[in-house]
Amino acid sequence: MKATVAVFFGGKSVEHEISIISGIQALSALDKSRYNALPVYISKDNHFYTGSRMGDIKTYKNLDEAVRKATRVVPVPFGGRAALMRYPAKRFKNNIVAVFDVAMPVVHGTNAEDGTLMGLLEMLGVPYTGCDVLSSALGMDKFAMKAVLRRHGLPVLDALAFTARQFAADEDGITAEIEDKFGYPVVIKPVNLGSSVGISLAQNRGELKNGIDLALEYSGRVLIERAVQNLREINCAVLGDIDEAIPSVCEEPITTNEILDYSDKYLSNAGEAGGKKSGMSSLKRKLPADIPKELEEKVRELAVKTFKALGCSGVARIDFLNDSKTGELYVNEINTIPGSLSFYLWEATGINFPDLLDRLIELALKRHRERKAVTFTYDVNILADASFSGLKGKS
Amino acid sequence: MLEAISTAILFAAFAADCFLLSLHFVHMLQLNSYQNDRYRRWMKENRGQIIYRMGWLLLATVAVASFFIQPTDWKVRTACAIIFFIHAYLNLPKKAKKPLVFTARVKRLYATYFILTAAAGAAVYFSGMFRISLGGLFLWASLTGIAVLAANTINRPIENKIAGWYIEDARKILNSMDNLTVIGITGSYGKTSTKNFLASLLAARYNVLMTPESYNTTMGVVRTVREKLLPVHDVLIVEMGARRPGDIAEICELVRPKYGIITAIGEQHLETFKTVENIIGAKFELADYIPDDGLIFLNGDDEYIKNKKTGKPVVTYSVRAGSGCDYTAFDISVSREGSRFTVAAPGGERCVFTTKLLGAHNIQNITGCIAVAHRLGIPLSELVLPIRRLKPVEHRLQLLPNGYIDDSYNSNPAGFRAALDVLSQFDGQRVLVTPGMVELGERQYRLNRELGAYAASRCDYAVLVGEKQAPPLREGLLEAGFQEERLFIAPDLHKAIEIVNSLPNEGQRTVLLENDLPDNY
Repeated sequence: MKATVAVFFGGKSVEHEISIISGIQALSALDKSRYNALPVYISKDNHFYTGSRMGDIKTYKNLDEAVRKATRVVPVPFGGRAALMRYPAKRFKNNIVAVFDVAMPVVHGTNAEDGTLMGLLEMLGVPYTGCDVLSSALGMDKFAMKAVLRRHGLPVLDALAFTARQFAADEDGITAEIEDKFGYPVVIKPVNLGSSVGISLAQNRGELKNGIDLALEYSGRVLIERAVQNLREINCAVLGDIDEAIPSVCEEPITTNEILDYSDKYLSNAGEAGGKKSGMSSLKRKLPADIPKELEEKVRELAVKTFKALGCSGVARIDFLNDSKTGELYVNEINTIPGSLSFYLWEATGINFPDLLDRLIELALKRHRERKAVTFTYDVNILADASFSGLKGKS
Repeated sequence: MLEAISTAILFAAFAADCFLLSLHFVHMLQLNSYQNDRYRRWMKENRGQIIYRMGWLLLATVAVASFFIQPTDWKVRTACAIIFFIHAYLNLPKKAKKPLVFTARVKRLYATYFILTAAAGAAVYFSGMFRISLGGLFLWASLTGIAVLAANTINRPIENKIAGWYIEDARKILNSMDNLTVIGITGSYGKTSTKNFLASLLAARYNVLMTPESYNTTMGVVRTVREKLLPVHDVLIVEMGARRPGDIAEICELVRPKYGIITAIGEQHLETFKTVENIIGAKFELADYIPDDGLIFLNGDDEYIKNKKTGKPVVTYSVRAGSGCDYTAFDISVSREGSRFTVAAPGGERCVFTTKLLGAHNIQNITGCIAVAHRLGIPLSELVLPIRRLKPVEHRLQLLPNGYIDDSYNSNPAGFRAALDVLSQFDGQRVLVTPGMVELGERQYRLNRELGAYAASRCDYAVLVGEKQAPPLREGLLEAGFQEERLFIAPDLHKAIEIVNSLPNEGQRTVLLENDLPDNY
């Protein structure tokens, strides 16, 4: 009897297609002697689909057709496991399409990676890999993340955050505050986006306003921080949980623009989509990062601390900003479900992709066990003996 | 017209009465594991209750009387219907500790029983001699207990087939799980607690499934495997109960345990086993099934267990300092917060543990579980937290916030003594509430008297539940010098609690609720 692992990918996110690539990579890397791999595709309108074709990247050349040929399902709790039920149900037919033991979310960005999908899995009561609801949400909201990391004494850049409405009401005031606080150049980011979408660099007031407008297209809230000079980006993945976690080797993404942009990040080798070489792994990078040993150790140490401070589990990639002249080092952001699950970093560290997935599943089961050891419900129904008079506010 | 209506009412009353009566008998059959011999023994032992309280005598008398009633007009039939209704009303099901569960098997049993009853009813209706047959209705109702037995016997071949299919299905599932480690737990007592403790301890590293409460027969294990075992489980803990020799071997044959724990041997179910040697033999069926690369964990404090040769790799555990066992708990202290103790493992590793649980036997069982977990590769230090989090099994020496120690599921003399030892360690007013021990065969009277004597110096007040049960305990208490004015006898538990509440206020009160009679007494 093999455990069935449902890999969830897609979702209502700007990184929908990237997630499909990451998800299908994970599906093909799962050790088939130990697990049955079950693809669960989440369409852009948040419908769930499954079917044997959904594990093949070619299916997604045409998303509308992919969905037409798939079986639409809804997940339901199923005695310690979860079942995918056909939706709409067919009469006089077995509508249980599949049953799974462990869920593996491989979704990127808002409405998925930010804790949304984890909340659903939590309600299904199945073990799932990766971060829980809170750490996922913290990882997605850059402002909240900074607040928690600062509380733990970890280095983050000062930032200012405001909503679209606040900016509209006091454009001049906010602009003045930014100039006063940071000067130029500054970086403008949507507060809760996973990829580099909507991020820009401003050297002057005009670029600042354009950048804010751009960021507001993707998020209701914008975050501004000082741009680090002589910028060197360093990424490091962490695997484990709050009790025990290990860092991977570091990588240095090579930027063609000032800011690593969307097409750079994911599509620099799009022609090979589907193979293990596609996605994040094919990004132009220096691996391992060409940085002093001392700095590398510092990055690895801070990566583990950041991972634990946010209460993460599974695999996450922490991206750092480094001023190559002054040596200043800041935690920039965390990807709680990194593209391609950062498998290329772990391969370089000596853990192959199937083993990485094994470890993720073990961690999922561990968390599930520990949650079960805590009381969530009482056997007594308080309402059984309650008097309902006055329930509507009148007695 | 009246004739027809009264006949219809009569048959409705008959059916209602038969149904309500059968509920009780089927319930008892279920509690006796559908085994005819045990069910018959229950009938024999509870003759008085069946004849008088359940109104068998009434039915039989009316049955005989109605052979003489002439003519059987609508008045007679209505009167008979009323008798049936009253009788049915008097036999409405009472609240039970373990209520009847309408399993598929019970439904099949009822199907057969209804066919039998309908046949009896039809025979009465269509027979020309309605006068005699009116007696037949009462006769049939009075024979409900036997009719249930007959239905069970008729269904037996089918039930065996169904059970056999389920067992094979469970075996297939178990065979398909290559990496599953099975641990068997047996013993006269302590096995349910040990099972729960072990599951919590092993969860530090492994995904554990255990057989749920009281599912300790082959069919209980089969249900657990078929309904609960998931591919992600690493360890299956199986509680194995033995009512007779061969029971444990049957479970072992199915689950093939690699590790086994024998917790304690006592005189439980002596009625079916006849001798203690038979009980020891039955428990050690588990050791016989342990493979050479497995381990059998034995309670080194139990004389019966200690002296038994197994020829298997053995690990022993103990709560007595200097016992020479592989794992020993020492420096044990007990307080209102619970217990604290140290365990030393072979190789010098040692660790201090705290737990909310009370009683030396709990520490003993935890030590056994520590031994198993340690041998399965979990360091002692990793067990501190799970042990701190252990919860008492419901109704087993469970310290409740209101000062009650609920030990109502205990049913053996050693457990009784252990609970009294715990009670005696508390300050303030100590009260014992108990109906004594049952199901101990010919030694029951003597054992209860000894328990009474043991209790005399360990409690300040004693409330004995059940007039039938009280005499030996009372005798023992008084012989040991217990003051008679501190001794009360209550007809049932609710009355006993009323008595406890009316006791004088003498500081903090601790009440031990020791044993509770099962529904079939």
